[in-house]
Amino acid sequence: MASISTATASDEKPTFTSMSVRHSQSGRPSTPQNQLRSQHSSFPSTSSAGSSFRGEEDTIIFELGSRWLRAGLEGDSTPMCVVGTGPEDSRRVGDYRGWLRGDATSGKSYPQSATPEEWTDSYELWKMDLRDVDLGLVEDKLERMVREAYNKYLLTDAGTSRLVLVLPSVMPHPLLSAVLSTLFTRWRFPSITLLPSPGMVVAAAGVRSALVVDIGWAETVVTGIYEYREVSTRRSTRAMKLLLQETGRSLSRLSNSSDESGQISVDLDFCEEVVSRFAWCNSDPSDPANASLLHRTVSIPSPSRPGSNYLDVPFSTFSEPVEKVLLAKGTTECDLDDEEKPLPTLVYRTLLDLPPDARGTCMSRVIFVGGGSKIPGIRRRVLKDVERLVERYGWSPVRGKSIENACEELEKIHISHTPTSITSDKEEPEEPEEPVDGSSRSSSREDNEDDGQEVDPVEQKLRRSKEKEEKPHAHGVLREVESLGAWAGASLVTSLKIRSMVEIEREKYLQNGLAGASRDPESHGHVPDRRSGLRAGGDRSSWTLAGWA
Amino acid sequence: MSRPFPYAYLSCPCADTPMPDPSRKRRSRESPQKPNPEQPHPPKVPQGNQEEDEEQEEDQTFDPRSPRSNFSLYPPEQLLYCEDCHQIKCPRCITEEIVCWYCPSCLFETPSSMVRSEGNRCARNCFNCPACTAPLAVTTLENVTGGGSQQGPWVLACGYCMWTTLDIGIKFDKPTNIRTQLFKLTDSSRGRQMSKTFTDLKSPLSTYASIDEQFAASSTESKNGDLAEPAPLDPEAQFAALKNFYKNQIAETSSSPTDPLGPDFGAGFSSPGALNRIMSLYTSSSRLSSLYGGTSKKPKSKPPVMREALTASEGLKTPAPDAEDTIIQRMVSDDCGWDGLASLEQRTFQAPDARFVEDLLPLPVLLRTKRSKRCKSCKHILVKPEFKPQSTRFRIRLIALSYIPLPTLRPLVPGAHGGLPTVSSSSLAPNLDALPPLRTVQLLLTLKNHMFDPVRVTLATPSVTPGRVASKVTILCPQFDIGANSDVWDEALQGTSVGDQRASSRGGGLYEKVAEAGKVWDKGRNWTTVVLEVVPGTLPGGTAGARRRVQQATGADVGGTTTRARGGDGISGDDDDGSDDDALPALDWSGQGQDPGPQPQQLQPDEDVLEIPVFVRMEWDSDNQIDQEQSVGRQNADTVKRELAYWMVLGVGKINPKIV
Repeated sequence: MASISTATASDEKPTFTSMSVRHSQSGRPSTPQNQLRSQHSSFPSTSSAGSSFRGEEDTIIFELGSRWLRAGLEGDSTPMCVVGTGPEDSRRVGDYRGWLRGDATSGKSYPQSATPEEWTDSYELWKMDLRDVDLGLVEDKLERMVREAYNKYLLTDAGTSRLVLVLPSVMPHPLLSAVLSTLFTRWRFPSITLLPSPGMVVAAAGVRSALVVDIGWAETVVTGIYEYREVSTRRSTRAMKLLLQETGRSLSRLSNSSDESGQISVDLDFCEEVVSRFAWCNSDPSDPANASLLHRTVSIPSPSRPGSNYLDVPFSTFSEPVEKVLLAKGTTECDLDDEEKPLPTLVYRTLLDLPPDARGTCMSRVIFVGGGSKIPGIRRRVLKDVERLVERYGWSPVRGKSIENACEELEKIHISHTPTSITSDKEEPEEPEEPVDGSSRSSSREDNEDDGQEVDPVEQKLRRSKEKEEKPHAHGVLREVESLGAWAGASLVTSLKIRSMVEIEREKYLQNGLAGASRDPESHGHVPDRRSGLRAGGDRSSWTLAGWA
Repeated sequence: MSRPFPYAYLSCPCADTPMPDPSRKRRSRESPQKPNPEQPHPPKVPQGNQEEDEEQEEDQTFDPRSPRSNFSLYPPEQLLYCEDCHQIKCPRCITEEIVCWYCPSCLFETPSSMVRSEGNRCARNCFNCPACTAPLAVTTLENVTGGGSQQGPWVLACGYCMWTTLDIGIKFDKPTNIRTQLFKLTDSSRGRQMSKTFTDLKSPLSTYASIDEQFAASSTESKNGDLAEPAPLDPEAQFAALKNFYKNQIAETSSSPTDPLGPDFGAGFSSPGALNRIMSLYTSSSRLSSLYGGTSKKPKSKPPVMREALTASEGLKTPAPDAEDTIIQRMVSDDCGWDGLASLEQRTFQAPDARFVEDLLPLPVLLRTKRSKRCKSCKHILVKPEFKPQSTRFRIRLIALSYIPLPTLRPLVPGAHGGLPTVSSSSLAPNLDALPPLRTVQLLLTLKNHMFDPVRVTLATPSVTPGRVASKVTILCPQFDIGANSDVWDEALQGTSVGDQRASSRGGGLYEKVAEAGKVWDKGRNWTTVVLEVVPGTLPGGTAGARRRVQQATGADVGGTTTRARGGDGISGDDDDGSDDDALPALDWSGQGQDPGPQPQQLQPDEDVLEIPVFVRMEWDSDNQIDQEQSVGRQNADTVKRELAYWMVLGVGKINPKIV
């Protein structure tokens, strides 16, 4: 899956012009603002003469997920705001019910029980399953979110500057089209740049290859990224939505123990609050110190009537849903469908999909992001479990009783024949798992290549100097790396003036919509041509969706 | 609805015009199974000479219950009106431009150049409490109130929840410039806090090795510095470190002297070049190398590859092995508990790793803006406020209510006991929060004209409200005129006929006034009142017993009504009724609370609210202004016939689940 990539090096024309405008403005420090205003007074837009300059400087970055919109300006380390799409955000203008907390009428409405699906539905902006998604509603919600972000938090004129959208690397086209159409038709963005969130997560961690475990709302996506490119992806529905539903059920049981219908009768906001505060995961079940945690109790507001009284609840109540949902505790592997693998298996499988070299690099750069990664303990637990899986199976996808038997018999034969070769045999499948010095391996390979070629002194010199520079990379051990998140990554990348592969211009989009994108990413973006200065007329006739195509 | 009943909402007509998207057509052709959320009820709209493209929208009733309608309905007072497009404008069909930025707390204006650097927040002493969002006050710790001795350390204190910065161990030396002081304090305090974990973490995992000379100078310096005070691990610092690292890498890898493009070109993209090139290595490496081959004499080695960050000073962050366990221990400890953990709301604007209440910092007040608003289609200014933040005046403000009639609704108190004191008549007024189902309610809808031209209004409503709760609605007089908003004196001087009528109706009169079909109820200088007759439907979630009683009481007619209504939703009504009666005999009289009935029977939120969609179409002759192309038909030289049509939603009340 090709996704981040390419940016063109040179500054584009619009940027140049805007820069020159800026310069001319700052070049006259003594010129007061009013003079500028008076110059423009023939235009009807006197009111914003000062502000429009400001807007052009900063690219706006939006990260869109299925529940939240993170918005901010390039170069910041954290988004300026996070806007949600809960039912409170989808009310009519002038309907202030959300503010009447503790009011009798609002209190009455929610302890209605709902099925888990219905319970979470109204909180989502979209679903990947578009069959029952009203795209018009998505557009409405998105419009309101973006407008709120601009008016309340970003405080710049909407739509005057470039926009960078950080999106999941898989987006249904109708959805993508809805998002882009809303943004382009509602506001006057000159161009929208798309960036894939896993790639941005990697950039925000300072590494080039990593395994990104995104424990998101609807699904957990594990993406193997090698040299900024998505190499393999696996998904599981075991994510925060299920966790919230599970916690909701257990809280419902707490509030009325007789209810076994599986319906949820607590407020989702309350449930989310509980999860965000108290959800945890036993990072090492074998550790006796952790076992004592299970017997502690904490008090939480009563699920049925938050705000009135507290309830003492064993601390384990909050780790059980996590283990049940994310780690599939209590279910056997064979019962699980492909899309509901527990996280450790998912991570292990994704690593297994990678070529050994990339696997070694990625496994020592595991990045956890997404809402679920905030659950304390989950990261270590997942890594521990993956380690256990590796210990047990090595890096082989083959499972089953007969295979085990065959292996045993093979080993027996080996033992009887050549006892010395056991070690080497055993070592082989696990090769990438032990710490291997990357540089030594690559250099040995290069030596082999050299045999066939004539010796070029310059090449040799370069190679030597390169070897000197090469630093030992962590390789082949499971290690976690922290990332600032996709939003920060996009902010970083944008502020370094790196262009994305996908840059959609307003006019082009409005003409043809998504259908205007060229199918073949290679045919677009004549990057080398531009570098060599052949970009005479600015060859921007085609654009591509790259990984989103 | 939180608005008190009765209320009126207007739907901005922009909701009817879909977004002009070329790919949309394609999409809808590809997926013809796209569900249509609205049930088309043919309204009694007399089809006027509407515009062509609106005609197909016309035959669909506006459904106030559809989730999308929440985004197009506005209280009438929030709408604007564009005089050039002659159209209502909602926040979705305007564009906004910022006039000034100011702090809502101290009302100081922030110049536009400073807004960004201050993070869109007030740079003075305005702070909000991180725990409860109330404004914080700067107070001194010393209780000496003597004028001269204002020396003591200063804190920010919340007057509402008694939170002070002492809770997080922060005191200020001066009562001014709190924000800069706070920034310095938190920066270093976080550094101290972090350096502990930093040293913990460094040993096992980081792979410090020799760093090349060029980079070593700077990074060893900073590394030594790191050990002394700083915090490369807080997100802000990590971000800065990463940015620095990437910049260095880009400079290192791209500005080699043998750059084939030379300095004049290299300057243009030296910064983005490297990372860029690396990112595109895989898509077009062949092309790249061929290009290199073409420009330089010998096939060169690949451009130096940017490496990844290796140390904390470069922005790499590997978590401490016991970091998560520490958090869990702290969560479960007795002095933390529920209230020691920050809520989602509190964490919204805090650092991403803030988890406990102790991590919360006071928040500088978010700035606000004054914005001028323009019509999105014709760019004319609709609202333009004064520049000064302190001023609440507007230079231009075209609000819709001065152009469209203001709808007001009130129940018609039966005049049968005319002449009785108001007390008894108010007791006769229906309780709008609990309307009895199947009992006719008469409502008075008054439309008040604010224009200086008389208006002809046509109202239309579906005979049965959309949705599962089918209420019957009849407008007794759907077509009427409203007088111009002329001088108030005109009314007084107009003679007695109007006055007579009003006196008779208002004063309760000697004779009982009966609402008659086809007749206006009442009329004044610039307002007209008509009668709406509403029969609230039964709620589907109502208990079986209630429904049974209904069926007994009102017979097949009502059964037919509910069946028809629910049949519209694709549920077979008769079967449901039958199974309900069988399944839930025991829960008969519980009346309210949990209804364990099957899902479609359950009452959805707000389903019991009786809302009537009304299509309003108004025509008037206005003075001919510059633009004549908007006019529908010209009558004579100086007046133009105009029309405006929109949906309005009247919230009547809540239907009582129990049938009385």
